[in-house]
Amino acid sequence: MIAENTQTQMRKGILEYCVLLIISRGEIYASDIIAELKQARLLVVEGTLYPLLTRLKNNGLLSYNWVESTSGPPRKYYVITELGSTMVQQLDTTWQELSYAIETSKQTKK
Amino acid sequence: MKKTLNINIGNSIIHIEEDAYEALTIYLNDIKAHFARNADDFEIVTDIENRIAEMFREILTGQQKQAIGINDVQQIITQMGTVKDFESSEDEPEQFVPPHTPGVKRLYRDIDNGMVAGVCAGLGHYLDIEARWIRLIALLSILAGGAGILAYLVTWIIIPRAQTRSEKMYMKGEAVNLQGFIRNFQEELENHHLFKQSGTFISEFLSVTGNFLGGTGKVILKITAGFIIFMCGVMLVSAIMTGAVFFGVFDTATNEIFPLSMVNDSYVPWLLLSGFTLIAVPLLALILFSIRVAFNGRPVHRSVSFGLLIIWLFAIGSTAYMVAKTVSDFKEHTEITQVNPLKAYQTYSLELDNYKTFSHQDSITYQIAGTHKGRVILDDDDRPFQEPDNVNIRIEKSLDGKYAVVQTMGANGKTFGDALSNAQAIKYDFLQQDSVLKFSSKPHMDQRTKWRNQEVTLTVKMPVGTSLIISKKLNQYLSSYRSWDCEQVEEKENEPFVEWIMTENGLKCKYEKPGKDQEEH
Repeated sequence: MIAENTQTQMRKGILEYCVLLIISRGEIYASDIIAELKQARLLVVEGTLYPLLTRLKNNGLLSYNWVESTSGPPRKYYVITELGSTMVQQLDTTWQELSYAIETSKQTKK
Repeated sequence: MKKTLNINIGNSIIHIEEDAYEALTIYLNDIKAHFARNADDFEIVTDIENRIAEMFREILTGQQKQAIGINDVQQIITQMGTVKDFESSEDEPEQFVPPHTPGVKRLYRDIDNGMVAGVCAGLGHYLDIEARWIRLIALLSILAGGAGILAYLVTWIIIPRAQTRSEKMYMKGEAVNLQGFIRNFQEELENHHLFKQSGTFISEFLSVTGNFLGGTGKVILKITAGFIIFMCGVMLVSAIMTGAVFFGVFDTATNEIFPLSMVNDSYVPWLLLSGFTLIAVPLLALILFSIRVAFNGRPVHRSVSFGLLIIWLFAIGSTAYMVAKTVSDFKEHTEITQVNPLKAYQTYSLELDNYKTFSHQDSITYQIAGTHKGRVILDDDDRPFQEPDNVNIRIEKSLDGKYAVVQTMGANGKTFGDALSNAQAIKYDFLQQDSVLKFSSKPHMDQRTKWRNQEVTLTVKMPVGTSLIISKKLNQYLSSYRSWDCEQVEEKENEPFVEWIMTENGLKCKYEKPGKDQEEH
């Protein structure tokens, strides 16, 4: 239970980071994000993504454009904002720090 | 076969099967309830709906399908995640507890678990009692006067059946949300219950009856059919036997038996044949039908059944013709009256003469003169198949003071002449031995004479003051003054006759019980 909780917390933060990373590469549609996350074996269920995207958008890290679709109604394509880009850079640094921390912790243990 | 609906989801029109729609509605309602706490709930829900619509379209185009089924919705829900999955991935500290109160119960019929139409099972869910107790009560109420059957039919019509999944969940009082839904769905898969076809009460009634007959009732049906086959077989055999008897295989004198004794001789074989066919064909048909229905026998070949039908119709036609012909022989009625004066006696005795009378011819045939000399042969009066009573004795006051017996012989016939000759052919003799009048129990007719409603009326005319001793054996021939019309004093009660006296107002009991008179006055 405790392990599960920690795992959830970790995954949450990393999921947010990954989503920002994927979007920062260029304009992207939600289901493509999901596809990429699935490839990265990160996302369990799609439904989790939408609240996250909405939250990120509300925080000013993302925005979206309506793009006409050949099959069906227009789609939301997400793009990263300047604030988002800054955030990604900050997160990159944090991730490297964290990665280092973990590596060192493991090595020290040995 | 499933009903489909058109829904508009994420600005797309999607064909969806009814049960899939149910599942989807419950899922989306759960999501809406979950995100109601967020300010951006609308946007999230719209995003999810759009995505679901997109997946639907992919399924429809990708799998060349016409409509979304329940499995597709299940797959989408797994892919999309349930509210539970969302909860664990969000950082709100407070744990959202869905209202898990058992939902409001509604009364539905549970046809999946029902014995007949699921009324009892549905009531059981509603009242939270095991259905078997309600069935017991229902059975008892049927046994106690049968009111239960009517009540069952009424409730059957009034209470809707639980058709959709959410109705079934309401029926069981399960919370209608996604958890309940999934549980219900899995239970259903485990129990291999399928959605029953929708329809009206009548079609449902028929299908229920069909199920009953196909299952529980099959044994009963077979027993019943076996019984019917056995009974029909017995009847058929006895019809054949009777036919054989009538055709004179065993006995040649059957033409004297009453209903046939009115039919012209030339018609008798035909009438018997067509009558036999009339009875035998439906019996045979019933046997064949029972075999076919109950034991899955092959249907009778069409030409055979047509042939039987034609034979039967022909039998009806010929029977009707002969009956009509025979009836027409009764068209005219004629009577001949003959007055026989009597000697004057103060007291007359009226008795039944049941000695069988034989014509000269008969005496020779039966060799009566030789072997039975000095004996009398009594006529057995209680034969079955006897013609209707054709001797009537009436006792009247003589107006002219003379003693007489007026003998009227009547008969029917096709024409007046026929009727007259039929009436003339009647021989009836009453015997006068001094003051004793003996009446024969039936007119004496030639053996070959057909029954044409021949009747003999004997009017005994007696002047006022004459005493009459009437045998009790004459009761069945008397049109009035039967022995029980006179309550005699006790010492005379057991005598085989009743004594009367002729008065101005007709016959009066001679030794009437005194008590009765006082009661009347």
